[in-house]
Amino acid sequence: MTISSDRANGPRLSRRGLLGGAAGLGLAGVAGAGLVGCAGQPDPATGTVPFYGANQAGVDTDVQDRLAFAAFDVTSTSRADLIDMLKTWTAAAEAMTRGVMVPGESNAGEVPPADTGETIGLPPSQLTVTIGFGPSLFDQRFGLAAHRPAAFSALPALPGEILDPNRTGGDIGIQACANDPAVAFHAVRNLARLGKGTAVTRWTQLGFGRTASTGTDQQTERNLMGFKDGTRNIKSDDRNALEQFVWVGDEAAQPWLEGGSYLVSRRIRIFVEAWDRDRLSDQEAVFGREKYTGAPLTGKAEFDVPDFAAKGPDGTTTIADDAHIRLAAFENNDGLRILRRGYSFTDGIDERTGDLDAGLFFIAYMKDPAQFVTLQRKLGSQDALNEYIRHVGSGLFACPTGVPDATSYWGKQLFES
Amino acid sequence: MTSIRADRLAGAAALVCAATLLAGCGGSGGSGAAAPSGPTAEVKIALSDAGCEPTPASVPAGPVKFSITNSGSAKVTEAELQKDGKILGEKESLTPGLSGDFTLRLEGGGAYSIYCPGGAKDTWTFTVTGGVPSNPADTSLAVATKGYRDYIVAEVDQLVPATKTFTDAVRAGDMAKAKAAFAPARVHYESVEPVAESFGDIDPDVDARIDDVKDPSQWTGFHRIEKALWVDNSLAGMTPIADKLDADVNTLKSKVATETYQPAQLANGAGDLLTEVSTSKVTGEEDRYSHTDLWDFQANIDGARKCFELLKPALAAKNPDLAQQLEARFTDVVSGLSQYKKGSGDNAGYVDYSTVPQDQRRKLADAVNALAEPLSKVAGQVV
Repeated sequence: MTISSDRANGPRLSRRGLLGGAAGLGLAGVAGAGLVGCAGQPDPATGTVPFYGANQAGVDTDVQDRLAFAAFDVTSTSRADLIDMLKTWTAAAEAMTRGVMVPGESNAGEVPPADTGETIGLPPSQLTVTIGFGPSLFDQRFGLAAHRPAAFSALPALPGEILDPNRTGGDIGIQACANDPAVAFHAVRNLARLGKGTAVTRWTQLGFGRTASTGTDQQTERNLMGFKDGTRNIKSDDRNALEQFVWVGDEAAQPWLEGGSYLVSRRIRIFVEAWDRDRLSDQEAVFGREKYTGAPLTGKAEFDVPDFAAKGPDGTTTIADDAHIRLAAFENNDGLRILRRGYSFTDGIDERTGDLDAGLFFIAYMKDPAQFVTLQRKLGSQDALNEYIRHVGSGLFACPTGVPDATSYWGKQLFES
Repeated sequence: MTSIRADRLAGAAALVCAATLLAGCGGSGGSGAAAPSGPTAEVKIALSDAGCEPTPASVPAGPVKFSITNSGSAKVTEAELQKDGKILGEKESLTPGLSGDFTLRLEGGGAYSIYCPGGAKDTWTFTVTGGVPSNPADTSLAVATKGYRDYIVAEVDQLVPATKTFTDAVRAGDMAKAKAAFAPARVHYESVEPVAESFGDIDPDVDARIDDVKDPSQWTGFHRIEKALWVDNSLAGMTPIADKLDADVNTLKSKVATETYQPAQLANGAGDLLTEVSTSKVTGEEDRYSHTDLWDFQANIDGARKCFELLKPALAAKNPDLAQQLEARFTDVVSGLSQYKKGSGDNAGYVDYSTVPQDQRRKLADAVNALAEPLSKVAGQVV
């Protein structure tokens, strides 16, 4: 059921009417949410990804086509304000993932509608809204210091980065993903509005083409360099890898984070003009893969396992020592893996040079931020790609465990334990 | 500038009249600020650089005489008694060595404040105990809309001579005097802008920016002269513009004299004023030549706050949480703005907005947005 069909029943239906109708009719999306114990995968009939579950949706969910990300700073110093906002946000996000309007009055002529309205008539579009808390939230303001996991502090300075403070950090991160850009943006916009007075938007990022796949039947998409990205990513049905590398367990000794995950975001500027002037053979050498098939330079097909020992007639390794896939491969990192969920972006031009301000908005989920730090220390200093990329923005957020049902809210265990 | 001062006093008197209609000093027979009778409590206020602490800080309801002395502060030369943001009584121009007093009947128990601009602490708590609680009739929306009408009339009454001070200087070719009179005249327009905008051509003629007009040769009003003063450095050809500006604000005065308002107009007008702030003041677009945006900012907020204060009794009865939230967020905005104040007395004003860096402008914008969201819900509560 979509808003459009609700609206067709009567244009003046109140939000309450919408909700009542939804519950009364036992709509597929709602029923689905009630039955599923683990949020994550979309109901094919409705395009609804259940919001409630043991884990937050939007991590191992099949990667949607579009991203709207926002980082917020909490401006209120009141713990009660923060909790109120999280409750309001949770209810709004849950409604939006079902494709219904933000709770509140949207049909009274004398007040602004509770929902901003641009997605009326659009289906849920597999919207997921995922929240994470930045290390800065655990300072003295809200009494959360005791709940900060030992593994959780701001990322250290890393090679390969020149970070813009206006695109870095934040007390709270919101990742909204959907197959329709209007639906993803609508989610972020409405949460920003509901947070006014308690939180302000620190930075936002739109992403337009997924560059990773987490579904086993999803095609591997290409990044703006024209290469397949995420061929060896952790897939949603690989429960072992998810448990081992993505979901936080009891090792953190923080119940609010058990079943959660750490989100690392990196705004990676790609110097596309320079890249596009690089010869094909060098582009392939930089990645260690063939551009068109995606096959490793030692194989024939995309999913062939790279042979990092193979050497050519001249005695050098076929996949170069500084090739991206060699440095990133789990075989060469003591088995270390992360779940990638990035998107391409473009934000106009770099005023200094006239070049496109475009690149990869890298998002990865992991059970310990050290996983990313380890990989980036290596990649940022050795990767042949570094000639063409720079990390210019950064975010680190601890995503709490899932919201089980309507009696709970994002981060409840953090505040009530 | 002296004439503006005199007009401000007249305006303050008008506000006291309006205030007596409202909760806080309402009582039997509407005797809010009427002549006292019975035992009169005396409250002493010694003006100092530190502020204006009232002694005692609490009195029983009834007639109260406020005796204000200034034994040596050049910074603090006046004290006002306020309730819910309204001036109930004041004594101004008390330079070192002077003293003065005012007396009024305070029937409504509760929290008041003593306000003295320029003091290190400029707002002091003053409490009236006992007394008659606000008459429920005082919370009626009719009182609010009447109060708003009085406010608009009082503001425009000040706008006309303040504008004339400005235009006289323009006609006389006195650049320095005209520059000094520009922002002080505009504040009385910016505080009532939503009302002015409701009268057809007045707002475009008085307040258009160059990007608002189809034909720049037909551009009139404050900002046309602003450009002449700060960019062209010449007042050549400005006399007809000055004459028209005077005529336009006089037209506004005659129109507001008969205008009446609905409660929703107060609520929506307040929202409109905040939109003004967030879209054109915070960005520095309004007064792009003179950089006096913060004066307008303050005036917009004052106008919005007036609407809120008038609606507050009705709002508080229906949705006390919203009323409380708005009060707190108005306070946030006002305190954010106050750090850019400079000067005192006749020279009080704001810093050049071009000196306010982007990150600090952002803080102002955040506070305004935090206020604007809940403010947008007020109309739904009072209609």
